[in-house]
Amino acid sequence: MRLEYILIGFGILLCLAGIGYLAAEYVKYLSEAGKLVSLLLTVGMFAFLGKYFDGLGW
Amino acid sequence: MATKRRDLFLYLTIACFVGLIAIFIADGYIGVYDAIYIPMGERQQKIEADQWLQWFQYGRAEIGWGEKANFRYEVDNRQFSTYSADIELSVWHTNEKLRDLLSQPMSIAAFDKGQLEWVIDTTELLPGGAPEQGYEFTVIIKRGEIEREVIVYMYPRTPVSIYPPTPR
Repeated sequence: MRLEYILIGFGILLCLAGIGYLAAEYVKYLSEAGKLVSLLLTVGMFAFLGKYFDGLGW
Repeated sequence: MATKRRDLFLYLTIACFVGLIAIFIADGYIGVYDAIYIPMGERQQKIEADQWLQWFQYGRAEIGWGEKANFRYEVDNRQFSTYSADIELSVWHTNEKLRDLLSQPMSIAAFDKGQLEWVIDTTELLPGGAPEQGYEFTVIIKRGEIEREVIVYMYPRTPVSIYPPTPR
């Protein structure tokens, strides 16, 4: 069980690192509309993730 | 019921994540981007593609009279098809064309880069001698319908090096 949590944590870190890399490298090429939609999706992603963990009882 | 609702939030989170990645790839990466290397005295300055896209309307270069200005123009084709365009280079001063530098087609394979280099000899541009108070001219790069401008400031003479100090 503990190993699963470690793997999940590792996976989350990799996802965040990937998004961080894409953001650092390509955010400058995004159009204004692309930046706005990205911002909304980021807010939505964290909001839904928060609701998911809320449902789990965290 | 509560589990289904909870899972729905997880699926929505994943959908937002996938959408984010899709926007970065489709809007941020795919496309044709250009960069130009311009002379700035002794060093070369790169004007990145994003500077043209976001806030830079023109580049600014500096060169001394009597020197040769080296330019390099790079086109990065981040598309799944071959990119073709006609490249035209010309030198302008006060809305008057001084000379055509180059005119040639450019074809770049998918996910490849193409580049073009050229040199402007300042003595050929101003054969009458060094300008007394500096002189500006514009290099216009036309790639298809896209136009990039580089304003080149030509200072009167090459600055005298102060190093090493003169022996006494």
